[in-house]
Amino acid sequence: MGGAGGFRHVVRRRTHPTCRIDAHAACLDGVTRVFGQQPALVRVRLVVRPGEVVLLRGTNGSGKSTLLRVLATAVTPTHGRGCVFGHDLVTDRRDVRRLTELVGHQTRLYGDLSAAENLRFVARMHHADPALVPAVLEQVGLLEVADERTRGFSQGMRQRLAMARTLVRAPSLLLLDEPYAGLDDQAGSLVHALVAATIRRGGAAVLASHDDLVGFAADRTVTLAAGETVVVPQPSLLSAAPGGLT
Amino acid sequence: MTGEALALAAKDLRLELRGRHAVSTVLPFAVTLLVALGLALGPDRPLLRQVAPGLLWITVLFAAVLATRRSYELEGEDGALEGLLLSPADPAAIFLGKAAALSVQLLALEVVLVTVMALLFGLPLAAAPVALALVCLLATVGLAAIGSLFGVVAQAARTREGVLPLLVLPAAIPLLVDAVRATSLALEGRDVTGWLGLLLSFDVVALAAGTLLYGYLVED
Amino acid sequence: MATIARRPAPQPRAHPARPSGARNRSRGARLLGALCGSRGIFWQGVAAAVALGASAVVSLLVVPADAAQGDVQRLMYVHVPAAWTAYLSFAVVAFASAAYLRTGRVHWDRLAVAAAEAGVLFTGLTIALGSLWGRPIWGAWWTWDPRLTTTLVLLLVYAGYLAVRGLPDNPDRGARWSAVVGLVGFLDVPVVHLSVVWWRGLHQPATVLRPGTPTMAGSMLAALLLAVLAFTLLWAYLVAARMRTERAAQRTRRELLSAPVRRGVQPVAPVADLVATAPTPQGAGSHG
Repeated sequence: MGGAGGFRHVVRRRTHPTCRIDAHAACLDGVTRVFGQQPALVRVRLVVRPGEVVLLRGTNGSGKSTLLRVLATAVTPTHGRGCVFGHDLVTDRRDVRRLTELVGHQTRLYGDLSAAENLRFVARMHHADPALVPAVLEQVGLLEVADERTRGFSQGMRQRLAMARTLVRAPSLLLLDEPYAGLDDQAGSLVHALVAATIRRGGAAVLASHDDLVGFAADRTVTLAAGETVVVPQPSLLSAAPGGLT
Repeated sequence: MTGEALALAAKDLRLELRGRHAVSTVLPFAVTLLVALGLALGPDRPLLRQVAPGLLWITVLFAAVLATRRSYELEGEDGALEGLLLSPADPAAIFLGKAAALSVQLLALEVVLVTVMALLFGLPLAAAPVALALVCLLATVGLAAIGSLFGVVAQAARTREGVLPLLVLPAAIPLLVDAVRATSLALEGRDVTGWLGLLLSFDVVALAAGTLLYGYLVED
Repeated sequence: MATIARRPAPQPRAHPARPSGARNRSRGARLLGALCGSRGIFWQGVAAAVALGASAVVSLLVVPADAAQGDVQRLMYVHVPAAWTAYLSFAVVAFASAAYLRTGRVHWDRLAVAAAEAGVLFTGLTIALGSLWGRPIWGAWWTWDPRLTTTLVLLLVYAGYLAVRGLPDNPDRGARWSAVVGLVGFLDVPVVHLSVVWWRGLHQPATVLRPGTPTMAGSMLAALLLAVLAFTLLWAYLVAARMRTERAAQRTRRELLSAPVRRGVQPVAPVADLVATAPTPQGAGSHG
């Protein structure tokens, strides 16, 4: 069939000596992605273990979003390979998609559906329980506007709704791209709640953010520069929030 | 897979009912086109009656291109198509769901258009209502399948507006020929079984091809 | 982690110095490779030129003119071979597209795109020559004959095939898009033909010139076969040359891709380093 089966050919030449199902929530092995002739990622290698929170840093255009989109299987690596919980990013897309949720720049809402209808649709497409929707809407503070069309929502409200989608789905690998953009302080703690819930399930989270994390700390910071991962010393981040993830 | 396809089709139809794009844009466009074609051909009633099936299906074809574009525009507005793609649903389910929603929209449109044509062009609709309905149904399913398949290309390549008709129209030529001939014969009260068979086989091939190939179009 | 640390940083697979997949190529791929080498292309070109020259001499000077149509009928020796290569291109596009989608090997895509471009050329030529022939014989440049109509649709399908290629920013995706268009067109064209045959059948018998009828003189048939051979060689030459330029274009893209890696800083930090500098990961239990 179209999705996974359509890329069956890749299976023959790709194995995963570096990706271990038990040990890695996600791994990228020499991943390069080119848009047109512009490389967005260049031979990135990254390992994320279960229970880990990884923060991606880097200037605009350094490839943070592309890295998250590669892990979510929204874009295919031009070269290199990777996996999520042992599933190949190219050949086992559907398995990867079952486990990951990407909250990106676009909130993926239908303007003429209400908040609750948007979430119910997501639940049906992901085989989640639509009965969760009211509780989830309450959790993100949108219960009063549950039946209003999302076309009139502010950016912050849309962002909250995108996060509500994560709560409906309960993914094992949470990918957050600038999650604080457009959110007020109160909603900022929502990010913490999402990450904590994912970790509690034994999952992992990768965040790309220019802002400081609110209320918790990353286990590790990876900096991207011009599409390549570089290692930087990272004393300040952890000392700023000594409590870690609570 | 069926559940996801149905959920998607229901969502599309609900959006269409709320956005009223079909009623506010596609329908007026189609009726205007019919009137313009009628005026271009002059008031010769026998001539109009003879060419009416052709005009009807040309109009439906253009309306289908518009409806397809709209259907995928809604998915592209806020990255929703990516959301569908990143769900564990089989891409084939997305294809079938969108094709189903498009079929329903086009059928509703055809009911209005056929009525308008009957009034303007003096068509004897009562001659073979069942055959006519079957022709509409079978032609619409095939058209919706082609639209649903190639709509992705239009959505992903928004800068090149002309690419959708370039792909849809040649693929729909057999449908156009079959539907026009079948409609003409049905209006004359003649047997259209052979043409219906041809339409049906087109639908089967189009749906099968779409189911198998959609993933290649929609994946990055 | 140890498995990773031991593994040397891999070369980018696209490195131009090492053509990928050279080891385990199928026999078909090797044959294609030989035909598309610079020597193979040269000899195909020579063969095509010789055959075309011979065909021109035979069809213009040796074979007698048709009794009914006169010299105009000599158009057959270019029109029919052009039509044959047009349909050959089409079949090759469909087959190579299916093979590309199935295997993901780029040489199938190169073959498909080369055949599609040759197809545009020969389909256009077929229609133009057919019109030139039809004008004096039928009294019209065009008639809605099933063969003519189908050939025209073929041209539109090729146009779509070539139009979608460059649209996405991912060249692989563009190749997949055009492969889908090629396959859908392949399924579509027979239905077009059948539809038009039926459509015409209800009005009047189709007015088709049938150049291949057994009534044709033996010398004419031989000249026609020679012309078909010459056009096929020309087709093969054009396709092979086009595949070669496509491969060069792909190599250039890879060259550009690997440029920032060579120019830039130490490209990749080994994963082991990333892990080493990280603080001791907190277990899942301490979170939340």
